[in-house]
Amino acid sequence: MAPKVLLMGELFWAGPDAEELLGGIAELVPMESQSREEFFQDCAPGGRYSDIVGIYHEHLSDKIGAGYDSVGVKAAKARGIGVSNTPGAVDKATAITAVFLLVATMRRFSWCEANLRAGGFNPPGVEESARDLSGKTVGILGMGGIGLKMANYIRPFGCNLLYHNRRPNSLAPPDVKYVSELYEFLGQLDVLMVSIPLSEKTRGFVGVKEIRTMKKGSIIVNTARGPVIDEEAMIKALQDGHLGSVGLDVFTKEPEVDQRLKDMKHITLLPHVGTENQEARRKMERTALVNLKEFLTTGTGPNLVPECQ
Amino acid sequence: MSKPQVLIAANPKNGIVWSKEEQNSKLGAVAEVLELTSSSREEFYKDLSSGGKYANIVGIYRHNDSASAIGIFDKDLIDHLPKSVKYIAHNGAGYDQIDIAAATAKGIEVSHTPGAVDAATATVGAFLAISAMRQFYRAEVNVRNGQWKSGLSPARDPEQKILGIIGMGGIGKALARRLIAFDMKVIYHNRNEITPPPDFPCTYIPNVEDLLKQSDIVSLNLPLNDKTKGSFGKKQFDQMKDGSVLVNTARGAVVDEEALLQALDSGKLFSAGLDVFPDEPNVNPKLLQNDKITVLPHMGTETRDSQKKMEILVLDNLISALSGKGLLNQVPEQKK
Repeated sequence: MAPKVLLMGELFWAGPDAEELLGGIAELVPMESQSREEFFQDCAPGGRYSDIVGIYHEHLSDKIGAGYDSVGVKAAKARGIGVSNTPGAVDKATAITAVFLLVATMRRFSWCEANLRAGGFNPPGVEESARDLSGKTVGILGMGGIGLKMANYIRPFGCNLLYHNRRPNSLAPPDVKYVSELYEFLGQLDVLMVSIPLSEKTRGFVGVKEIRTMKKGSIIVNTARGPVIDEEAMIKALQDGHLGSVGLDVFTKEPEVDQRLKDMKHITLLPHVGTENQEARRKMERTALVNLKEFLTTGTGPNLVPECQ
Repeated sequence: MSKPQVLIAANPKNGIVWSKEEQNSKLGAVAEVLELTSSSREEFYKDLSSGGKYANIVGIYRHNDSASAIGIFDKDLIDHLPKSVKYIAHNGAGYDQIDIAAATAKGIEVSHTPGAVDAATATVGAFLAISAMRQFYRAEVNVRNGQWKSGLSPARDPEQKILGIIGMGGIGKALARRLIAFDMKVIYHNRNEITPPPDFPCTYIPNVEDLLKQSDIVSLNLPLNDKTKGSFGKKQFDQMKDGSVLVNTARGAVVDEEALLQALDSGKLFSAGLDVFPDEPNVNPKLLQNDKITVLPHMGTETRDSQKKMEILVLDNLISALSGKGLLNQVPEQKK
């Protein structure tokens, strides 16, 4: 009897990949528990999931993705359970979303499109606030896989690129300058691209002090996780004009979005669609399946999260 | 000896916006600068005639905004210009609002502002391409309406797709460089193959039909003139791949709008990204109501940075001409 793997989520694009990768190695069993209590019962001895060896997990109001803040990694490690994620698969799609937000905010395009569709044309005064990207300083906070892709995508737009990271990344291209001191980094930027994972250490990382260190009129783009930014501080800075605009794909309490943000014309908002396209979704699903296959056949996996290594 | 007179025919209320300093110090050093005050074409014709305040102007700084007061520089207007006019320095890379043949017939040299518009316009093109593929307009509407992802279907990525550029001039090249970074493959059609080839990988396609058949995204980057007006119509849409995307940052009138609407309705086009329309600022409501496309109100160079660059280039063209060195960027049709 093939070992059982619990499918907590849905394979939209990688159904055939599941057959190809796990056929003969494991049986994928869809999760049917209707509540947390029922799930606990199903996992207890004698329950229908009591003998599973692996779980394909997709966070229910988010996606599999690279962010694994919804999985209790410490508890898993303590029980000898390995947790893997799907980095790489999300990099390009997320980086493109970040560049879209960079352009949209610098050029105030959301305001322009809304104005046009409402029967106007150029919004009055847009020439004063909209800026060229050429020659502007863009800082990437977090030079991981996504940050690296962002740098390459932004380069042809003629921006001056900087990055800040816990440590310099040897893979960073030579034209992206490392700035070791956070506030020195922030003070030089026209745009801050947030690309760090959410953890206890990074919650509220971009707060009042960090925002006020940035230049007046500057912009923040966030495609990482909402809670990395102190949302209240960000909103205040938008209201008093310290921040010229923000481009957000993530928020602190998705799917809710603060009404004050929804009412601002000069910013750009997306509903966490960083990887919402067929190619990226399929890559993510497939990567998770490959991770499972590796666990089952070799006892270890290629994408164990750093905390579990 | 008094300085030659130059007329600033720009925004009727504000004139030149970002370079008043240079208008006064640089242009003012070699010319007597007059501002357009005529509030109608009729009044302008009076002002241009013998005894009128513009009867002796030698050069004109022209911005499309002046059309709201005096209309475009068609044959009729050009024929009313006094004999003294030698130069029309236009603010914009596209100069379809000027009848070049009429100007040439009167011995008037015309310049435009290529190069100064490239980065900003190509950035709009790249934005439209990404937004159309990833369906970001609809996604943003969803957030603002409190619907989050409800009703959104996974969209598409530019990665590994083929970008077909029609018109590989300055803007076309700047667009190619931006989208190549996203792993797009670039093919292009141009009146002639570019030699030496551009400094990025791209393939010349001599036949437009072949380009249309292969492209996932088609970008229009060619000027509007008698030859190109309405040149992208039903035949071209039929030749495009099913589910492809059209991006237009050139001129609205290059495209047959009925055919465009048809192609969107039928699903031939997955989406479109449009910055230009045939009758700006009026835009077909069918386009404004379509949430599968992305539309912008001709924002190609609408930043203070680009506007200033362009204004300075127009002033420099006039200063060069008035100093006897000729226009810097005379339009190609007049350069023989």
